[in-house]
Amino acid sequence: MVKVTAGEVQEWLVQKIADRLGEDPSSISPGQYFDELDLDSTEALVIAGEMENWLGFELGTTALWYHPTIEALSAHIAEESAQRGAAA
Amino acid sequence: MAPRPSRAAAAQVLVRHRATPPGGRTVYAVHPGALPVVAWANLAGALPQDTGFVVLDVGAVPAYLEAALDPGASDLTVDRLIDILIAAYRADHGGADAVGGGPAGPVTFVGWSFGGVLAHGMTERLKPEERPDGVVLLDSVAPTGAYTYAEDDGVDPRIVLRWFAMFLGAKRGTDVPFRTPSATSSEVPSSTVGADHVLVGLEQLLRDAVACGALPEGTPVQSIRKLFDAYTAGLLRNNRLTFTYRPVPATVPLTQIKAHHSLIPSDPTLGWAELADRTLEAHSVPGDHYTMLIRPDASRAIAGLIPASRPPQLVKTRRDTQ
Repeated sequence: MVKVTAGEVQEWLVQKIADRLGEDPSSISPGQYFDELDLDSTEALVIAGEMENWLGFELGTTALWYHPTIEALSAHIAEESAQRGAAA
Repeated sequence: MAPRPSRAAAAQVLVRHRATPPGGRTVYAVHPGALPVVAWANLAGALPQDTGFVVLDVGAVPAYLEAALDPGASDLTVDRLIDILIAAYRADHGGADAVGGGPAGPVTFVGWSFGGVLAHGMTERLKPEERPDGVVLLDSVAPTGAYTYAEDDGVDPRIVLRWFAMFLGAKRGTDVPFRTPSATSSEVPSSTVGADHVLVGLEQLLRDAVACGALPEGTPVQSIRKLFDAYTAGLLRNNRLTFTYRPVPATVPLTQIKAHHSLIPSDPTLGWAELADRTLEAHSVPGDHYTMLIRPDASRAIAGLIPASRPPQLVKTRRDTQ
C-alpha cells in the first residue's frame, strides 16, 4: 500500500485527467467538479480503478460523490491513506 | 457523512432538443441516466421537423444519483421522482403556470428503460386534460410482480454480466463480445454464483474489451470492477425503487418497442400487458437495450412507431400484437 499526501494524489489525478483529455495539466482546475470536466463517466471510473491500483486500497463507492473535486478527493484519499498506514 | 457540496450550476432536468412550433406536437422523453442525454439526438432528428422534442433527465436529479451510491442515506421513491418530473413538465407545457412560453399542443411521452416506468407513472398522476395521448416504452420493464425484486433476491449475476457487456459497448461505441465464463456456465445454479465467479467474468470481459478497443491497453481489473459496481448500483437502485412502487393501470394507449437484443428476450411486452387497460402495441427495432437509443437505424424505426409522427388514420389500435 502506498502512503500518499494530498498533494501527491492531486498531482497524480491532474496528470491522469490531462492525459485523458489531451490537455496541458495547467489547464485542469483542482477545484472544478468532476462532472464539469469534459470527462465521460466511463473514463472517470477507469481512472478511479487505476488509482486503486496505484494506492493499493479500494475507494468507497461514495468517495467521488461526497468529494466531487480533485482537491476534495485528494484530501480524502490522503486522510484514508494515513488512517490505513496508522492501522497497519 | 456531511452532505455533498452543491455545485454553483446544477444540471437541468429539462433539456430541449427542438422547440415546438405553435400548436405543434411535443415528445417528452424520460431519460433514466446510464447513457448521456445527447443519446436522444438521433431520435429527435428522425422525427418530423414540426415535432418538438424535450428530454426529462432523471439523471440530473441529485437524489436519484445518491440513491444508487449511498442507498442507506436515501429515502427516494418512484412517487417522489414522478413529482419532480411532473413539476418540470407542467412548468414547460402550456397552461397559465407554464414558464418560458412552453408548448400547449398535443403530447406524446416516451420512456426508455426505467424511464418508461416514470413516463407511465407521470401520465396516470396528471389530470386527464394534461395527459399525453400515448406512452411509448423503449425496452422498458413493467414494475409488476414478475419483474420486481427484493434487495437480496436480485437478478442472476451471469445475466447482469451480459447486460453490462452491452452497456460498456454502447458507452464506448463498439460491440463488446460477451462469453459466459466456464466458471459461470449455465449449468451452475444461480444461487451458487458468487463474487469469485463475477470476478472471473469481469477478467474475461476486460480482455475482450481491450481486444476490441473498448478499453485502453493496460486497463487494470480494478477499473472494470469500478465500472461494473457503478452499473449494478444503478440497477439495484431501480430494483429497490420499483419494489415498493404500486403502479395503476394505463388510461392511455401504450406502445412497447423492444430492442432485438432486449434485456429480457422472452416477453414481448416486458410485463406491460398487466397494466394496459386500453391498447398495447408491441414492436421491436435493431440493436440492444442500449444501442437502440444510439443507432440511427433504430432511431428511424422508433420514430416511425411514435404516433406523433404518423398521420392519425395510420395509428393502429390493436391489442398485444406479438
